[in-house]
Amino acid sequence: MSAEPARACVPWAAADMLGKLTWNAIPFDQPIPLAAGSLVFLVLIAVIAWVIIRGHLPYLWHEWITSVDHKRIGVMYTILGLVMLLRGFVDAIMMRSQQAFAFHAGGYLPPEHYDQVFSAHGTIMIFFAAMPLMIGLMNFAVPLQLGVRDVAFPTFNSTSFWLTATGALLVNLSLVVGEFSRAMWLPYPPLSELRYSPGVGVDYYLWALQISGVGTLLTGINFVTTILKIRAPGMSYLRMPIFCWTALATNLLIIAAFPVLTATLGMLLLDRYVGFHFFTNSAGGNMMMFVNLIWAWGHPEVYILVLPAFGIFSEVISTFSGKPLFGYRSMVAATMFICLVSFLVWLHHFFTMGAGGNVNAVFGIATAIIAVGTGVKIYNWMFTMYGGRIRFTTPMLWALAFVLTFTLGGMTGVLLSVPPADFQLHNSMFLVAHFHNVIIAGVLFGAFAGITYWFPKAFGFRLHEGWGKAAVVLTVAGFYTTFVPLYALGLLGMTRRLQSYDVAAWRPWVIAAGAGIIVFCGALACQVMQLVASIRQRESLRDLTGDPWNGRSLEWSTASPPPAFNYAVLPNVEGEEPYWQIKRRAIETQQLAAEPDYKPIEMPRNSPTGFITAFFCTVTGFALIWHIWWMVGLGLLGAYVVFVWFAWRDRDEEVIPAEEVARVDRARRRVRAQWLAHNAREEWLAVHGQRETA
Amino acid sequence: MSEVEALRHTRSPALDPYKLGHGAGGGRHDYATGHGEGGPASKRVIVGYGFWLFLLSDIVLFSCLFAAHAVLQTATAGGPTGPQLFDPRSVALETACLLTSSFTCGLSAVAAGARNRLWTEVFLFATGVFGLSFLLLEAHDFAGMVARGASPQTSAFWSSFFAVVGCHGCHVTAGLLWLGTMMAQVFFKGFRPSIMRRLVCFNLFWHMLDIIWVALFTIVYLIGEGR
Amino acid sequence: MTDEQHVDDEGNLGDVAPGFMDAADHSIREGIQGYLMGFVLAALLTVASFLMLHTNLIWSPGIAVALVVLAIAQIGVHLVFFLHLTTAPDNTNNVLALAFGILIVVLIIGGSIWIMNHLDERMMPMDQMTQTDR
Repeated sequence: MSAEPARACVPWAAADMLGKLTWNAIPFDQPIPLAAGSLVFLVLIAVIAWVIIRGHLPYLWHEWITSVDHKRIGVMYTILGLVMLLRGFVDAIMMRSQQAFAFHAGGYLPPEHYDQVFSAHGTIMIFFAAMPLMIGLMNFAVPLQLGVRDVAFPTFNSTSFWLTATGALLVNLSLVVGEFSRAMWLPYPPLSELRYSPGVGVDYYLWALQISGVGTLLTGINFVTTILKIRAPGMSYLRMPIFCWTALATNLLIIAAFPVLTATLGMLLLDRYVGFHFFTNSAGGNMMMFVNLIWAWGHPEVYILVLPAFGIFSEVISTFSGKPLFGYRSMVAATMFICLVSFLVWLHHFFTMGAGGNVNAVFGIATAIIAVGTGVKIYNWMFTMYGGRIRFTTPMLWALAFVLTFTLGGMTGVLLSVPPADFQLHNSMFLVAHFHNVIIAGVLFGAFAGITYWFPKAFGFRLHEGWGKAAVVLTVAGFYTTFVPLYALGLLGMTRRLQSYDVAAWRPWVIAAGAGIIVFCGALACQVMQLVASIRQRESLRDLTGDPWNGRSLEWSTASPPPAFNYAVLPNVEGEEPYWQIKRRAIETQQLAAEPDYKPIEMPRNSPTGFITAFFCTVTGFALIWHIWWMVGLGLLGAYVVFVWFAWRDRDEEVIPAEEVARVDRARRRVRAQWLAHNAREEWLAVHGQRETA
Repeated sequence: MSEVEALRHTRSPALDPYKLGHGAGGGRHDYATGHGEGGPASKRVIVGYGFWLFLLSDIVLFSCLFAAHAVLQTATAGGPTGPQLFDPRSVALETACLLTSSFTCGLSAVAAGARNRLWTEVFLFATGVFGLSFLLLEAHDFAGMVARGASPQTSAFWSSFFAVVGCHGCHVTAGLLWLGTMMAQVFFKGFRPSIMRRLVCFNLFWHMLDIIWVALFTIVYLIGEGR
Repeated sequence: MTDEQHVDDEGNLGDVAPGFMDAADHSIREGIQGYLMGFVLAALLTVASFLMLHTNLIWSPGIAVALVVLAIAQIGVHLVFFLHLTTAPDNTNNVLALAFGILIVVLIIGGSIWIMNHLDERMMPMDQMTQTDR
């Protein structure tokens, strides 16, 4: 970038039509990002061209892009998360291989590029892989589990997704146009201030996060409203499936924490764009305030990610143990306890910053205490399995891998919560190993468990078990070969984010970690093969009844994939595990419940609002990054016009006639009746036969 | 009597050991959602509650700016301090404008409740006028401060001051834009349910701006003055 | 509390969200009276706050506390008279959400001030540390 002296960049001083954007923004001199970026964009263009040429565009537009159906949006979120997970994984491969080569040498990534890689890796994995995966699964499953037809604000739901996609797009755009932030995944000032990061990298980071952050906040509001206000009749709080409880806690945390992120990044933006002095070195700015505020968001964020995963594991473990969740109420209590206490521990991310003993002690103790909530959950999962008839399916294997691995990560976390120990381990590879241990084992395993668990519900066929199990085994193996060496490296004194090093004792461990990433590549191949094999063998993997796992909560009572309206009639909930009761009653009486009285259903109409809003946000964000002020004005104006146009709409709902509802539901009931006649008969005989002989 | 029968019928202990749903609390009908009787809430409640959550998240956003202001209170870096430049009379006038606009906004809600289009528009317009005067007064204040050497670039204290007060000002501006849109909608479309829901949200938003202003003039201006 | 109060425009049963002012619940007169009372109370509290600045009635270091108390009272007035927040069972969600929000606000502001004060006491003043940086 230009060596221009750092000064507050006054917006109205930019006279050029394209702001800071010139041909220099394309990194012609850096082959790796240029090639990678070009490849990504060529693939993207090829996909778009294929879609247009094959005439899929109208289908995509009407059925997906403008869809306000929570199931479709959930699927799109999950796909976005998986794609970005791939991108973040490529960054991880680059980091591990760089360090494997960089003993007494420069490796193949120069420092300014390596810095971008680790910043992008963290940013992408947290905001654009883990968050979309969790939000996607919540989107798909929560309304189904609550026994209702959609979320509270379907159009906002679509807007949320497209705003998240906008953020992801901007991050990827930085590969080829300009550069990404080199200031770590949380851009600590003063490094991230204009003086030390004059390029557009930090601006890409900030605007991508601001835009997707608004989307996430909308999601939070949407889901809290949904869970508190829209549930099937009879579904009291203490009858909600545990996944809904963890989703409630997560979204409460989103509402409380994401404004903090927005405000903090907003202050940094003011510093960078209009010369404010919040976090600068000069004029009384206080960079510690940034660290303080960003972690006031950052710690709740950890629980925003992991709580839905806890919910998924609870559902999976209960289903595949064939037992109700052990200690459901203590699970609920532990979830809400974590929800509150997660706001009382943020200082443990900067024990070494210089606060006194009192402050460190309070936050250290709070950190140790929050582990109690998680401990309760671990025991509940184990007791759920105890005495159960466990089926070792792929989701269950993910859950078992989680319980073991996550407990290890939790223990190292408790170790780090002791301030004197943290002083030794802060910013070392031990810390890196710790948070990967909890996030991979918690969030990533949770996402995979959730995807394999709900995949048949979403697409009507199960995922291939063999490839899935291979993926579990290789992922766990890859995890331990990569991250156990990092624990050791941390104890040997290696700090994080090293581009090269010259300590001979570290080398074997670094190479071992590099080997681990190769095992991860194998796991990735299995995941891809799983998808391919499943699609090819979809007829034999078909889920006809809608209940492939002998499930317990309401989502398994409807067809797979569910109709747009989810339930022909809202189920009447009479206890915990409502679907289990419905099923038992059907088996007991050997007949389905009486056919309900079908009525027309009002469903929200599809709307391009979300997509168009996101389009204008992309334009505005890009213009802001490159200081193209006329385009900023245009983008904002466009956004306001969309807002008014959306407000002016007269018809926002469409009616599905009663005959159509009846036709769809009768088809489901027919399959159910067949199932009852074939499979359930044996079960009934098994139970009642036993009783007679006893 | 039949109700008791119905309860006995639907809630056998085996199905509902904890007596969680369906008239929990001794057979009394409890329609509040969360007790499970009613099923999904009405659209009004959903929209109102969602907006309420949004406002709470907005308050959390302001709380960060307040926290920054509190921390940077003394970081004037040798430049002017707040009390040197604050004008309590102007702040009092701004407060009066905003409080009155909140009152007229409330009256517009009463008029909308009575489905009176004329008075709704009149009170919404009055709200807009008071809101705009507030903004102009504030802009005048800001201009005066900048002229006397206290711009956001001067010191961290003034950065935080302009950020927290300016953020409230931005909210008022957005509120005015929304207000104009609402007046047009009431004028062209009348009091259909969707418009009524939006009016409730607008009311909530406008009152919330006043609540934030109460915190703002107390903490930033009055307590700041006292230092 | 009768059942009628739960029935809204669309004939649904349920609880209420904040800010609801129904013609069904209140006459126009009652509505105006409510807002008027809120307005007068809020105005009185505001005037008291501004007068507090130059008063000798209160021990001067206590003025800040008094101002905070007045502000909290006024926020309460706004919540009750303008936002129609009540303690009725149909308002449980609203009040709980508010309580959660207030908790977070208190934690963030209180925590930040506490942490940052600790840092300030224990660290070299920023302008000395960065003298070369101007």
